[in-house]
Amino acid sequence: MNPLLREAAASVQLGWVLGAMTVVFLAVFLGWVFWAYRPKHRAMMEEIGRMPFMDGGDA
Amino acid sequence: MEKTTTGTVAAGTDVGYDLDIVKMFFTATVVWALVGMLVGVIIALQLAWWPANLGLPWTTFGRLRPLHTNAVIFAFGGNVVFTGIYHSTQRLLRTRMFSDTLSRVHFWGWQSIIVLAAVTLPLGMTQSKEYAELIWPIDVLITVVWVVFGVNFFGTLARRKVQHLYVAIWFYMSFVITIAVLHIVNSLAVPATWFRSYPVYSGLTDALVQWWYGHNAVGFFLTTPFLGLMYYYLPRAAERPVYSYRLSIIHFWALVFLYIWAGPHHLLYSALPDWAQTLGMVFSVMLIAPSWGGMLNGLLTLRGAWDRVRTDPILKFMVVAVSFYGMSTFEGPMMSIRAVNGLAHYTNWVIGHVHSGALGWVGMISFGMLYWMVQNIWKRPLAHPTWASHHFWLATIGIVLYTVSMWAAGLMEGLQWRALNDAGQLANPIFVDITARLNPFLWIRLLGGAMYLTGAVMMAVNFWQTIRGPERPAAEPVPVAAD
Ligand code: HEM
Ligand code: HEM
Repeated sequence: MNPLLREAAASVQLGWVLGAMTVVFLAVFLGWVFWAYRPKHRAMMEEIGRMPFMDGGDA
Repeated sequence: MEKTTTGTVAAGTDVGYDLDIVKMFFTATVVWALVGMLVGVIIALQLAWWPANLGLPWTTFGRLRPLHTNAVIFAFGGNVVFTGIYHSTQRLLRTRMFSDTLSRVHFWGWQSIIVLAAVTLPLGMTQSKEYAELIWPIDVLITVVWVVFGVNFFGTLARRKVQHLYVAIWFYMSFVITIAVLHIVNSLAVPATWFRSYPVYSGLTDALVQWWYGHNAVGFFLTTPFLGLMYYYLPRAAERPVYSYRLSIIHFWALVFLYIWAGPHHLLYSALPDWAQTLGMVFSVMLIAPSWGGMLNGLLTLRGAWDRVRTDPILKFMVVAVSFYGMSTFEGPMMSIRAVNGLAHYTNWVIGHVHSGALGWVGMISFGMLYWMVQNIWKRPLAHPTWASHHFWLATIGIVLYTVSMWAAGLMEGLQWRALNDAGQLANPIFVDITARLNPFLWIRLLGGAMYLTGAVMMAVNFWQTIRGPERPAAEPVPVAAD
């Protein structure tokens, strides 16, 4: 195959790979935000946020 | 104690934490901070006034510069992070470290690596990779010591008394794992003699691996562990929980995920394929989002406590640290844009950027933590409370002098290098002329660095006298505002 064509084909494939990666990454990110901000998790999150203060100690 | 979700410990319970190891790392931190910054001031003097190279091979800039970077990053930065990790991990997991022996092997192993670095670098022994200069036998030692640390850290995690891991622990985990991978992959080499080796990579691959390492050394040595410290010590010092815990975990995952891809911004306009440069650039620009998420979370934690920021030096150090974190993570993404990088690359602008992160973020958050610790672990009031404020102002003004002079110098160099006259020729064809014009800026930088070092010396003396002074009576509450 003509080297120029081969390069073009490779970059098209790369485009698909990058496109698919973007979709997957975005989905994971949105899922994570959704999980963190679910109202159900609110109390738990706030409690974990207080962990540095719950060890009774002085230092 | 039973394992519970967040493990509340009743007041006065003695869990039996190992505070001696914290004190050991604390002491090493202060010592290496002074050494590393002193070498910084010396090389700053050498750049402004060449006779300070002394005409000896061991004291020339080329050999002392890697000594400075290794000493401040791995000796000062490493020890301060270990101090915070050994202290806060035990408390957050409500358990003693996995093994006291491993803790001590880690401590002494790390200090001997530093001493070996301080001997070999001035002798000119190097494998010529920035931030990974140390020769292969030392690289092997680093690997062994890091594995010891890793086993100890994850062993502690395994025997924790709580179910949930507070966000600081996540940041520490990313540090332990990523640094191991980065160090091993980047240092792979074939030894030829005891002092010499050949990297397994060559050419462009070598450059890409090096800057994947180099950038993530910034990301996972100078950023994530320090964010972990911020998430523990800022709330402790401010006596209020972090502004948004949910933001903190999103911040964590987005940050570690994006950082890994940003390395190519060090190789813009190089032989690296265009698409890889663009990838690095895009990820670098996106990095501003989680970075500023972290900054805002830190600053907003202080809402309602701003009156205390005015009087408490610990909070002052931390606020300035978080602000410089925001500034350098705004500047970095800008410098990653190809056109901007064309102006900034190879100039003192990069040095200004580095030190706004290093002196502003890493240094100031460390000082804040150390002032908090010395009073809480040794249970003593500061010997000289006002000195802490003086230190704060010396450091802050020092950083401003350092970074502003380097920005000005960098812009001047960058513009003069590329300036053309009407005939389309270089307007400044004699390179060394431009270099000579930098001199006033180099002296201002030296002044800023000397002020920063002076503040650190005051801190060390203050700590020394505090630790030797009388213990605070048990009934007296921990002072928050120290001046
Ligand atoms: C008293 C404080 C300090 C002074 C006076 C100082 C001075 C210097 C000087 C003169 C250089 C060489 C610049 C050049 O080649 O043009 C340098 C490089 C560097 N310093 Fe510092 N430094 C100080 C503190 C620190 C700290 C605390 C850190 C890190 C936590 C740090 C990290 C670095 C790094 C990473 C480089 C290499 C930058 C690059 O290659 O782009 N420095 N420093
Ligand atoms: C979003 C965050 C950041 C981005 C996107 C970023 C981007 C950059 C860019 C584009 C360069 C210049 C590369 C060149 O032209 O040679 C650079 C250099 C550097 N940055 Fe950052 N930066 C960020 C944050 C930080 C922080 C917080 C620190 C320190 C704590 C830091 C430390 C350094 C160092 C040490 C170098 C010099 C590397 C060398 O050439 O030796 N950066 N950064």
